[in-house]
Amino acid sequence: MTQVGVVENAILDGKRKALVLAEDRVGHYPEFREFFVQQFSLDANGLPRPGYVRAPSGMIYALVFIGRSGEPFPDGLEIYALPDALEPLNDADVDADLWALLRWMIAGVGGEWRVEDLDATGRLYQLSVTESA
Amino acid sequence: MDASGGVQRIPHEQWPHEPKFKRVNGWRMHYIDEGAGDPVVLLHGNPAWGFLYRKFVKPLTAAGRRVIVPDMIGFGLSEKPVREQAHSLDGHIANLTSLLRQIDVRGATMVCHDWGGPTGLGFALSNPDRVRALVIMSTWAWPLPPAEFHKRIFPWRMMHAPLVGPYLLGRHNALTGRGMYLSVVDRKKFRAEAQSVYEGILPDPGSRLLTWTWPRWIPLDSSARGFARFEWLERELRKSTFPTLLVWGREDEVFDHATFATRFKELIPHAEGPELVTGRHFLQEDSGEEIAGRINRFLDRIDGRQS
Repeated sequence: MTQVGVVENAILDGKRKALVLAEDRVGHYPEFREFFVQQFSLDANGLPRPGYVRAPSGMIYALVFIGRSGEPFPDGLEIYALPDALEPLNDADVDADLWALLRWMIAGVGGEWRVEDLDATGRLYQLSVTESA
Repeated sequence: MDASGGVQRIPHEQWPHEPKFKRVNGWRMHYIDEGAGDPVVLLHGNPAWGFLYRKFVKPLTAAGRRVIVPDMIGFGLSEKPVREQAHSLDGHIANLTSLLRQIDVRGATMVCHDWGGPTGLGFALSNPDRVRALVIMSTWAWPLPPAEFHKRIFPWRMMHAPLVGPYLLGRHNALTGRGMYLSVVDRKKFRAEAQSVYEGILPDPGSRLLTWTWPRWIPLDSSARGFARFEWLERELRKSTFPTLLVWGREDEVFDHATFATRFKELIPHAEGPELVTGRHFLQEDSGEEIAGRINRFLDRIDGRQS
């Protein structure tokens, strides 16, 4: 449904990290933090490596988790596209990939958070990425 | 230190005011200061800026009042911090306090809307010697309960959820565009004369940080940041003796008047109103001149003058 898959061994040679989305407070609703902790075994793995996911365009994205003293880990999250080092990003592809990543996240958070409500919110705000949702 | 930051006048016939800047609490704040007389401070909330009050300035100054309209740090022509941790309710009250002390505002009428409510009321209640009256519109000043709208996943909590907020409100500027559009009555007029101005003042995703940060400061339960400050606001507001006018949009679906104006009336029994005007949450867009007239008449009554 979400077209996003975790990648265990991303190939980084010849790629660059391009920041595409940043979240300063991933635990604003604690169940979102818990989703990432579970998904990437952050309690055991901590900071040594990002989490990697493959999005619908085929692009690999690195999820870089941010810790802050006094706050549960992770406190923040940065999402980097990994394009070929000298190639510009395709903004429409990135936008659609991020939307797919959000749907994957909401499906994983679960409970009262439903992908249907995310899609409805996207439609309310007339996002083009929701046209096929 | 020169606090202008190189930002100059907005070339817009609807906002012909001289931009002024002060460094407040470590940030560059834009404001306008027009007219002479007893000051009226017009405070906007999320995701607006002083432009929201463009139809208030002339009638208030023409009535012999000084009109001060700050842009909250993070909005309008003020500096826009790039980290969520730069924003807090107490910090925004301190920002406003710094400005109004620097320009030595005394005898002010605080006109409070949306997040201009908790911040403006916070200033008034901690600086009572500088304030003489309150005008309260479509806002709140207590920790619980939240508005029904703010408890719902769709669309409110989903809109500012982790990562969704930076995507939807950041990359796609959803609040200044579609969000405000949905929160006025005359949408055709809003689209024609105002929407592009609100969208244009926050041109890049990084400039829109506060649009998804403020929603996260609305208490939904007792664990919320700012909960104690809202308890203080409610406690102090009950003791307030400021002459107060409540003005509400008849069609307001966010802070509906039956719930929120009624609660203010219970906290401040001597308050006048609520006076209902045409308007959803951004009632200034639909009834700007009318509300300015109501403020003039309210202040004339306080002054004992004939309107």
